[in-house]
Order: sequence, then structure tokens, then C-alpha cells
Amino acid sequence: MPTITIDGKQVEFKPGQTVIQAAMDAGIDIPHFCYHPKLSISGNCRVCLVEIEKMPKLAISCATLASDGMVVHTKSDKTLDARNAVMEFILINHPLDCPICDEAGECKLQEYAFAHSRGESRFDEIKNRKEKRVQLGPRVKFDAERCISCSRCIRFSDEIAKSNQLTFKNRGDKVTITTFPGESFDNPYTLNTVDICPVGALTNNDFRFKSRVWEMSSTNSVCIGCSRGCNIEIWVRNNEILRLTPRYNEEVNSFWMCDNGRLNTFKFVNSETRIDSCYLRKEGELVKSNWVEALEVTAKSLKEFKSNEVAFIASPYSTLEDNFILQKFAKQINSNNIFYANHIIEGDQDEILIREDKTPNSLGLKLLGIKNDISKLIDLIQKKNVKALLIMEEDLAGLGSEWENLLSKLELTIVIATNQNKTTLLADIILPAATYAEKHGTFVNFQGRVQRIRPAVETEELDRSLDGMSKSRWDKFGTKFDRWMQGKKYDAKPSWKIFTLLDSYFSNKIKFKMAEEVFDEISKSNDVFKDLDYDVIGDLGSLIKKEVYQNV
Amino acid sequence: MSIWEVIIISLIKILLIVVLMLLTVAYLVYFERKISAWIQNRKGPNRVGWHGLLQPFADVFKLLLKEDIVPEKANKALHTLAPFIALFVAFATYAVIPIGPTIELFGYKINLVVADVNIGVLYVLALTSLGVYGITFAGWSSGSKYSLLGGVRSSAQMISYEVSMGFSIAGVLLLSQSLSPTKIVEAQYGWMWNAILQPIGFITFVVSAFAETNRLPFDLPEAEPELVGGYHTEYSSFKFAGFFLAEYANMIIASMMITTLYLGGYQIPYIDKLGLNQTLTVLLQVGAFLFKTAFMLFFFMWVRWSIPRFRYDQLMNLGWKVMFPLSLLNIVWVAVLIMVFRL
Amino acid sequence: MTTKKRFKDLTFWERLYIPVIIKGLVLTLKTMFKPKVTMEYPEVKFEPPASYRGRPVLVQEKNGVERCVACGLCSRVCPALAIEVQAAETELEKERFPQKFEINMLRCIFCGFCEEVCPEEAIVMSKDYELVFQDRDSAIFGKDKLLVPVENLQDRIDFLRKFKK
Repeated sequence: MPTITIDGKQVEFKPGQTVIQAAMDAGIDIPHFCYHPKLSISGNCRVCLVEIEKMPKLAISCATLASDGMVVHTKSDKTLDARNAVMEFILINHPLDCPICDEAGECKLQEYAFAHSRGESRFDEIKNRKEKRVQLGPRVKFDAERCISCSRCIRFSDEIAKSNQLTFKNRGDKVTITTFPGESFDNPYTLNTVDICPVGALTNNDFRFKSRVWEMSSTNSVCIGCSRGCNIEIWVRNNEILRLTPRYNEEVNSFWMCDNGRLNTFKFVNSETRIDSCYLRKEGELVKSNWVEALEVTAKSLKEFKSNEVAFIASPYSTLEDNFILQKFAKQINSNNIFYANHIIEGDQDEILIREDKTPNSLGLKLLGIKNDISKLIDLIQKKNVKALLIMEEDLAGLGSEWENLLSKLELTIVIATNQNKTTLLADIILPAATYAEKHGTFVNFQGRVQRIRPAVETEELDRSLDGMSKSRWDKFGTKFDRWMQGKKYDAKPSWKIFTLLDSYFSNKIKFKMAEEVFDEISKSNDVFKDLDYDVIGDLGSLIKKEVYQNV
Repeated sequence: MSIWEVIIISLIKILLIVVLMLLTVAYLVYFERKISAWIQNRKGPNRVGWHGLLQPFADVFKLLLKEDIVPEKANKALHTLAPFIALFVAFATYAVIPIGPTIELFGYKINLVVADVNIGVLYVLALTSLGVYGITFAGWSSGSKYSLLGGVRSSAQMISYEVSMGFSIAGVLLLSQSLSPTKIVEAQYGWMWNAILQPIGFITFVVSAFAETNRLPFDLPEAEPELVGGYHTEYSSFKFAGFFLAEYANMIIASMMITTLYLGGYQIPYIDKLGLNQTLTVLLQVGAFLFKTAFMLFFFMWVRWSIPRFRYDQLMNLGWKVMFPLSLLNIVWVAVLIMVFRL
Repeated sequence: MTTKKRFKDLTFWERLYIPVIIKGLVLTLKTMFKPKVTMEYPEVKFEPPASYRGRPVLVQEKNGVERCVACGLCSRVCPALAIEVQAAETELEKERFPQKFEINMLRCIFCGFCEEVCPEEAIVMSKDYELVFQDRDSAIFGKDKLLVPVENLQDRIDFLRKFKK
């Protein structure tokens, strides 16, 4: 392989790589604004200038192809002088409003100004005034003064989102970004521009001013918006999810995620409609109860039915662990009636990320052997073959009015749910379930990739310290007397745990303490998941080959 | 005088002394606080009453209103007994201190001393030795390590310093040839004060008196930084007040003893040469006694707020290696005085 | 620094300690007659100088709006985690304002870091030292208690401009 020398270090590179890529692979950081590994090279920020021997002038490392025997200096006096000059130039018209800028704390310009610039400005004139708070699209706000014209957002909308909605306008120091006339920046991936914007010029309407980035903790997880299962980070402060950001995983979502997943998959966790305790129907009314009583009543009422009169609804929204334990529990009481509902919006799919299957784990269900479609259940209920139904994390009544009628025909409806919905209104017993942000578990995305979710929000049975959840500085030092530690905690349990508790009234053979144990059991009993455990899956997931699961 | 008259007169004297002592003790605390304040550039208690003069009563009420706590592990009987021993010893000592010469009042010849015992000095020494029991009991019976340490320190300290104290007094006795305090006072006629005749003895006695009364710089039995409160750590309310009273009562006794033994007692040098009326003379003499005692009390406080506490080994060193030999030297000195000047 | 004499270096006279003790006694005696420094608090109140760090307060401009832009730097720098800020958007030019600004006075250690770090000169240490609470909740000061008109803080602001870089 050809080599180049960067700062005296011999580095191998693949032909066709630019200097900055070769340096990155070798772990050498060259400051850059406009360069992004997934976007085309534009070379307009000039901050990645490096000194290359035998070249008369400094060259921008992002656009200079590496060639064998090249000698590059990224820390020579000449390079540093040029870099400082470029930083000073960029900062000429950049407003000094970090205090009110949302990007502060994760801002590339801020970091480089700290690390690479000369520290003070020699610019005595008045800075340029441009438009502020421009609503580029429904979800993105633009501050023209802060923009350093790196064109990352323009290239993103052209090359990744393929929507060609943004462009530069004017020249020189008047240059600004705008949408084409009559266009709104409204493609389904707009919020990724907020992530890649090296400064705070583009801000997320939803997250704007909610929190400083250093006040939150971040937890690696997986988006539940569709069967793509984009890798995400969940940002939490005061036990409340404030935003989701994509996490780099080349095999699944690269650097990106869609706006729908980013904005609409976390608000239910802290919403008003969360089920805050167990409920029992007494004299036609749903009454608050506690776990002991609710589980006892559940077990007692289930025992009143013959085993085949009881049916179970598994859920593609729940983890592998939840569905596996549901399956096991059904087996314990000799019921074969396990059904699940598909949530496919046909046509709502693109070549980038979005999938028409809107659940994160439908492949997982199939791999566990849960294949009965819910349509078969209609018949059973109407013929009174099924009289009791246990629904796990599925809004059955929300599927259509015929389901509402069917449910009211049942003698017993037990619902394990996270939020209030039409189904919980019809339930006889409601058991509160933990959301995906409150439990450990695994999803299998449409590619067959097993990916882990981790708890980011505390429930009453979780403890941020004891359960090894990620902590912000506030979480580390807070006490129960601090108002910023008094965020709402729900009395919810993961569904698999509810089943193990319920089983203590039946066979008392399903005994698991941790989701990890459940997964180990899955991998032992199911060949598809052979040799997998939580450590193997790790942060990026592990792929099950199609050949392995095709026959199951 | 009939036996009844003697009893009644004695009872009146006792009552007077006790009431006076209690009041004095109360105000001593007040002055202690005032003097400490002045030495530290502060004003001191000035909220209760005019210039804070009612402060002692506020203090007493506060103490009496507190809950009386006896620790679970304490020996209840001894725990209760200890402050009373301390108090009893402190008050009983007053009996033999002469605050003035004989006076004629309502046709009676009255000694201005409760009991003019001919072995008064011995009596005082004996009683102050008993005082250590109060503290030792308190320390042991509280069932607390701090109290115990305080008690043990206190007994060791008192025993050590009693030696030099006794030898210092021996010098005084050699000169007066009597154990009766009245005689000792009379022997110091004119400027023949023992403080002047035997300065070394005076110093050793004063230092020993400080140690005996557990006052700073020798307050190791209750050294706050190390022992919380020392032997009275586990005491509260009235019992604590008992120890408090005893400490200050002891201070008064020590002052009175120093006055009697070394500062000529109630004597004002050559006052009889002035040819004053006898009653006036007696009154002046009583005044002189009180003044000298008051000065010694002030001295006690003054030292407390000026000099830091000794380390325990330093205290023992000082007691056995310095004070004890010095007091022996003092006896030799007095003997030489007697030999040379035929005193 | 004066070198400390060890015991073995002392002369006999010094070893007696008596002169030193008398020196000390004379000093305390003299002190007894010096004027007293006691300030009788509720009647006479201490008027602190501009450099005094009393409780931190928010500067309220003449038009009634707080200077604070809720950047959260004070909250970040606070070693005792006493400050909690929740920002929100405003139509004013400053864009951001503190919807909630709470200082937990039980946590506050009066170090003045918040004042030092503030880019807007919006949080300053006042001269107020009279802080009494009867429960934990009343010790958490919200904007209602923290906002102080700029006129009352001019002293401190002038001081800061003179000495803060």
C-alpha cells in the first residue's frame, strides 16, 4: 500500500483518499468545517490548509489527493499561521453570541476558536448584520449572521436528501443561504442539517432553547420509528427526554435519521397520557390499584378460563425479550393463541432510510416464531372460542372500529400498555409498561440486525447509579431536595418482567432478573440467535445473515 | 453564749455564705464572659438587663429548663451523685476561711469565719482532695470515653499538683506555726506577707491552685478540642449546672486561700497604727479581704484568656519536675529565713 | 519568616517562660481598655463595601426586563450546582430569556464564579447578607426574589468594570 508521511508519521492509505481522510484514518485530526465524510468536497472553508513538501503553496487537505511519498505537516509554523488567519477571517463576521446560541458546547467553530485561533480579534469595524430567525422550513430555523458558508447543508439536501431545496444567495460577505423561491425546506431529513452545521446557524425548532447540551446525559439506543432501526442517542435532563440525535452506524443509518423518527418517537415517554399506575375495573370504572393487587386479580381472572380460551397479542413495538417471555408464559398456561398486528403504511418508503413497516421489531417476532396475523383472531373471538385477551403494548382498538366491537365482546381484557389509548379505555385490567427508553432489550431491524436499546429514563424500579445508566453532571451530584432532580418517574415495568411476576401465580418457572438473562435464554433456545449476547451485540448491533433465518 | 446562740449565729453565717457564694458564682460567670469579651475587643453580654447584668439569671433559668439526660450506659447512682460531691466539697471548704477579724455585733463577739478550726488548712487540703472524687465519678459513671478520659486526666492532675501545693503550704505553716487560718493571717502582720517572704512558694501555690481548679492553662480534664466536654460531656441541665457551680466555687476558694495564705488575708498593713474606730477597721479589713480575693479571681480569668492550654505531658513535667522541686526549695528557703532572721 | 527557636536553644531566662507570660498578660490587659469593635447587629447594620459578595442577584434593566439571556454558564460554572436555568424564546432582540432562574441558597457558597463567568453582566453579587429560611423550599429563590433594579447594583457593577478583565 502507498504511504504518506504526516507529522513525521508514516501512514498507509488507500488510493483515491484525500490527505484529510488518510490523516483521519491514522487518528490525526486536521481541523475542518466544510469537509464531511459523507458529502462531496467543496473546499470553501480553507481551515484544513496543510503544508505539503514540494508544493509551492499550502494546500487544503480535504481536496488534495494523497499520493505515495507525500510529506505533510499539520503542525508546522506555516500551517498554524495560515489556520489562525483563516479562523480570524471566519470570525470577522461571526457574532459573539455563544451565550444565546444552541450550538454552544458542541460547536466546531467554538472548539477551533479555543484550540487554534489567535484568541482575539483585530477587526474594529462593525460586523455584518443579516437576517436572524429565518424559518427555512417547518422544522428548521436559520440565523444568517452565524452562518460561515460552509455549504454542508446545501450539499446535504442535494446529495443525501436529494431534494435540492437550499442554495447560496449573494456574494462575498453578503452571502447567505436560502430556499429556492416558493420552496420550503421540508424534506423528511431536514433536521440532519442541524446536526452537521458546524455552527449554530441552523437550529431545531423543537429543541431550540430547551437545554444546554452539557446539561443532558446521552444514552445509546435505537429509534423505534420504523423497521430501519436507526442508531440514536437519547438526550435526557431531569429524567425527561429532550431530543434524539442520530448515532453513526454505517451499516444502518450512517450519520442520518429522518425528521419523523427524531421528533415523534420520544414525546410519549413523558407525555400526559402515560399510564401512571395499575388500573382495575371495579363496577364499570377503572380504579387505580397497586402491583400486588393488580397481579393477583389478573392471575385469578385468567385462571377462570380454559387455556385455549385465552389469547395473547404480542407486539412488534416490544423487544425480543418481552415477546419471548410472552411466548413462554403462553406455553405455561397451554395457550397457542399468540397473534400480532402489522403496522405497514404502504408506499411510505424511500431509498434513504424510511421503511414502510413502522415497527422496530417485526422481523424479531417472526424469528421468535410468532407468525399468526391478527386477522385470524377475529374469527375466534366472534365464535366465542377466545374469551380472554392479554394485549401487550398494542393499541388493538386503534386499528379500527371493528376491533372496538370485538374487544367489548370479550369477557376479560388485560392490557399491558405504556400510554392511554382506545384499548386501555376498554380494558378490565391495565398494567403499566416501561417504554423503550426505560428498559434494556433488543430489536431486530429489517436487515436482520440485532440492536440493543438501553434505559435512558428512570422508572420507579430503576436507579441511574445502581443500574449503570448514563448520567449528566446534574445526575451525579443531585439530591432528592433539588428541584432539577425531581423529574417524573413512572411506576412502570418492562413487559417481560410483568410476565415473570404474573407467572409466580401459575407455574412459577419463569424466573429472570435481568433482560440480559432473558436474551441469553433466547440465544440458547433459538438457533437464529446463537452465540449472541449483549456484549457481542454492543453499540452497533450484529447482523444475522439472511441464509440463517430464511428457513425459520 | 449558750449553745443555741452559737447554733443560730453559725446558721446565719452559713446561710449568708451560701447565698453570697451562689450569687458570686453566678456573677463570676458573667464577669468571665465580660472579661473574655474585653480582652477580645468585644462588648460581651449586654442584652439581658442593664449592661447584661441579669444574664446570670437567664443562664441559670436556661440550664434549669433543659432536659436532664442520663446516658443509657451510665451508672445512674454515681452519675447523679457526682455533681453533688463536687458541689458539697466546694461549699464545705468555705467554713474555715476567715473573711475578717472578730467583730462585736448586738452584744455578741462574732468571728467572721463559720468555723474557726485550728486545723483549718488541713481541712481545706483534705476537702479539695475529696473534690477529685466528684470529677472521677462523673468521668467513670457516664459510660463515655470522653468523660472517662477527662476523669482520669483530672485525677492524675490533681494528685500530682496536690503534692507541690502541700509542700508550698508547708512553708507557710513553718512561719505561722499553726494550722489555723486565722493564726496564719495574724502571722502576716504588716508587710510580712508570705507572698513577699517566700515568692517561690507563692508562685508554686498559685500554679498548683490553677491546676487544682482545672482552670486554663491546666483545664485538660475538659479540654474541648480533644474531649468534647471532658468529665461533664454527658451532663445536662441541673447536674451540669452543679459542675459549673463547683468549678467557680473552687475558683473562689482558691482565691480566698491564696489571699489567706500569701496575701495577708484581711490584713491592711499597719491599719491599727492609724487609730481608727474599731468597727470601721473591721469593715475596712473585710473590704480588703474581698478586694484581694476579687483581684485573684480577676487574675484567674485574665490568665485564662491570655495563655493557651498545656499539652498533657507538659502538664505532668511541670508538676513533677518543676513545681515539686521548687516547693521543696521553698521549704529550705523558709527554714533559712527562720534560722537567719529568727522569725 | 522568623526561625523558630527550639527548646534546647533557649536561655535559662527564656526557659522560665515567666517574662513571656507576663508580656502576654500585659498585652491582654492593654487590650481590655481598647475601644470595642462589636457591632450590635439588628440595630446597627454592616454596610459592606463594593467588593463584598452577598447573595447573587439578577440585574433588572430600567425597562423591567432582566439582562440575563439564560446562557447557563453560571449554572455550569457553579461548583455547588446551586443555579438552575430554563431558557425560552422571546421576541426581544436578545432572543433568549430565562423562563425559570432558580438559585438554591442552601447550595450557594457565595464564591462569585457565576458573576465572573457571566458574559452579560447579568448576575452580580449583591450586598444582601440577611438570608433566613425556615424550610428547604423557601431557600430556592426564583426570579421574583432574584431580580434587582440596576440602580441598586451600580456600586458592584462599577467595581466589576474596574477590576474584572
